[in-house]
Parts: sequence; structure tokens; C-alpha cells
Amino acid sequence: MLSYFSNPQRFDGLARRVIPVLGVVTIVLLAIGVWLAFFGSPPDYQQGETIRIMYVHVPAAYMAMALYAALAGASFVYFVWRHSLADAAAEVIAPIGAVFTVLALMTGSLWGKPMWGTWWEWDARMTSVLVLLLVYLGYMALRSALEDAQQAARAAAVLAMAGIVNLVIVKFSVDWWSSLHQPASVIRFDGPTIHSSQLWPLGVMALAYTTLAAWLVFYRLRSRTLIQKARQIERRKLRDARQAQGEPGELA
Amino acid sequence: MGGMGAIFWREARLAWAGGGGPAGPAAFFLAAITLAPLAIGPDPDLLASAGPGLMAFAALLSVLQSAERLYGDDFVDGTLDLYALLPIGLPLLSLAKTLGQGVATLWPLPVIALLGGLMYGVPLVSSLMLAASLAAAIPALVLLAGFAGALAAGVRRSGLLIALIATPLMVPVLIFAAGAGRAGFEGDERALANLGLTAAISLGTIALAPFGIAGAIRSRLG
Repeated sequence: MLSYFSNPQRFDGLARRVIPVLGVVTIVLLAIGVWLAFFGSPPDYQQGETIRIMYVHVPAAYMAMALYAALAGASFVYFVWRHSLADAAAEVIAPIGAVFTVLALMTGSLWGKPMWGTWWEWDARMTSVLVLLLVYLGYMALRSALEDAQQAARAAAVLAMAGIVNLVIVKFSVDWWSSLHQPASVIRFDGPTIHSSQLWPLGVMALAYTTLAAWLVFYRLRSRTLIQKARQIERRKLRDARQAQGEPGELA
Repeated sequence: MGGMGAIFWREARLAWAGGGGPAGPAAFFLAAITLAPLAIGPDPDLLASAGPGLMAFAALLSVLQSAERLYGDDFVDGTLDLYALLPIGLPLLSLAKTLGQGVATLWPLPVIALLGGLMYGVPLVSSLMLAASLAAAIPALVLLAGFAGALAAGVRRSGLLIALIATPLMVPVLIFAAGAGRAGFEGDERALANLGLTAAISLGTIALAPFGIAGAIRSRLG
């Protein structure tokens, strides 16, 4: 199926139909989710109204990790089968994933202030999300530093795959690191097992974030192919203009 | 195996001939641990408790110093193209090459760390533990820096890019290497466990990173 859509024309046809659908679904789900989160669910008996931050924070953290998994998966597909669409997907997923990571860190910080009394704690989970952001940034920096498009694609794929092995090890090592020096003041959010009145808005928001990410990925993939097409047309025009003036054409 | 030995010694000799051997990283490491007390203050208790972590962190930074040269020069002058044709294969080759440079340039770091530990007021036993854990960490650090260096080979001002790529990969080994020194200082029996984990990560990196470096080199050679 992937090779079927590696034809830019076919992919464009699919994307043109999928993008509006995803857009509408995202907006509807976000509207329902935000309503449920703010009005349709009770305040937590322990955390009060601040529990509502959870509905924007947890889905962001989940997308930060899910998008890295998607990035690594796309990189693997590109590395093994050399599908250009997989590489394009990896390229457009990276910045979106980085933004969700920043969002998770920021909302987590806003939640941490009222709950733990601190904006930032060198807690295992927070630290490993920060490392995840660095991994995203390194991936994007490597991609933009290599000028040759194919070299950039392959090197970035190797890095993305190494990153996923590393993230697992980082998770464990950071857990041990932090458990050796766990400050006693941190109140762990183990809370009560989530009640269904909270599970519903959380689930809807998680779904909304997922379709939002998919929407953005398809949107950026399509603009990427359009930009490439526009560049091709520009090059062709330039070449034709030169040939009309009797100059030798630019080597393609 | 003969090929690997030849490449190991070539790198070691090159490091001595072109880059002053261990002088560069050693001087950088010394400068870093000299400046740190000037920044965080001369309080002996603070220095002794921060010392092992600072030392491990400074060692990580000094490893990054030479990462740019290792694959960058050989990429630009075409040596890597020839290496890719050798019958021993890129993984073994990159292992020998990276460790060759690492051993030749970084052997003074544990010694300086031992000395630095004592200067920071860390007891002798904990300083020895820190030196041992740095020695155990160096293969992993060098190989991860080499991986980043191979990915960014030939990029102008690749030093910054290498640092950004390599630091997240170095998180685990930093945690355990510094943890061994810290636990040793605090009289925690987990010092040996941390040392063992550092060595385990180094061994795991020796097993896996050469394939990563080979993949990186191939991707860059196109």
C-alpha cells in the first residue's frame, strides 16, 4: 500500500480527500473534549479544579511519545525499503512531535506549580521528556545541516532509529537516577484510580489530539509535495527561458 | 584482526601527530574542573558533594572535543570511501578506529579525575571509584561521540551539531558514571552497582554502536 502511494500524484489525491475530513473530526472532537473537560466533568476531590489541566497535558505527553514512535517507524521503513513517502513523513513528523513535547512540558509545569508547589522538579519522568525534546531537536538539526537531500534522509533515519533504543535506556536509567535521590517533598500523583467521569473527557481529548496530529502530518506532507512540484516548475521555466535566449540549458 | 590492529594504531598515531595526542582533552578537562569551583563557590562541603558529578560532566564535554575530527577529516579527504571497500567491514573498522583515537587521547582523564577528586575534597576511596567509573565510561562516550561525528561528518562547524546529537545518547552512561562517584562519596553501597552498570553500558555500546556508525558512514557516502 505504501508503494502505491509513493506516487506523488496518487498521494496528493488521497491527501486532498483526507485533510478536510480529519480537520472536521478534529474540530468536533476538540469542541466536545474541551466542553467535557471544563463543564462536563466534576472537579477532583483531591486536586480541585486543577485536575482540568490533565485533559490538555496527558494527551500532549502521549502524542509526544507516539509521534516519536511514528518518526522511528517511518525512518525504519525508509531505511529498509527506501520509500520516499516514509522519509517525507519522518521529516514532517519531527517538528510536530517537538511542538507536542514542548506543550507537554509547559502544561506539566503549569500543573506542577499548584500541585507540587514547583514549576520544575528533576523528576524521572519530566527529565526523560526533556531528553526526548533534545532528541527531536538533534534530529531536526541534523536534517537541516546536511545539504544533500538523500544523505540527509538516510543519516536522519539512522539517528531516529538509534534514538528509540536510547529513549528506552534513558527511561530506565533516569528512573534509577531519580530513585537514588528522590526528594521527599515531591507528592507523587498516584491519586485515586481514574473515575469514569474523568476518563471520558480524557479519552475524547486523547482522540482529538491524535486526529489533530494526523491532520497536521497530512497537511504538511501535502504542502511539502506541492512545494517540490512548484520548485520543479520554476526550474523548468528558468531552463526554457535560458534556452529561448540561446544559452545552454542548466544541467538537470 | 590484522586490519583492525592497523587501523587502531593508525588512529592512535594520527591523534599524537596531528592533535597533540591526549594534551587537548586533558587540558580542557583540567580547565573545566579548575573553573567550576570559581563558578559555584569555594565551600568545601558543596565542592565535595558536587565534585564527582562535575568531573563526570566535564569528562563528557572533553570527549565531545575530539569527535569532530575523528570522522570529519577522513570524510573530507576520501579516506572513508576507501575504508568502505575494505574486506573487514565498516562495523569492525569503525570500532577499531574510534577506540584507537579514544584510547590515545583520553587515557589521562581518569588520572586527572582522581587528582581532581582529591582537590575537591572527595575521600581517596570515592575518588578511586570515580576514576574507575570514568575509565569504564570512556569507551561508551567515545563510541557515541563517534556515532554523532559520523552522522555529521564534513558538515561545516559540525561541533555544535555533534554535541546536540550526542548528549541525549550519553545520558545513561553519564548517570551511572557520575552515580558511582556520588554513591561512593555518600558511603552508599550502590557505588559498585553503578560502576557495574557503567561497564555494562560500555560493553553494550561496544556491541551496538559500531553498527550505528557503519550505518551513519554508509548513509553519508550515499
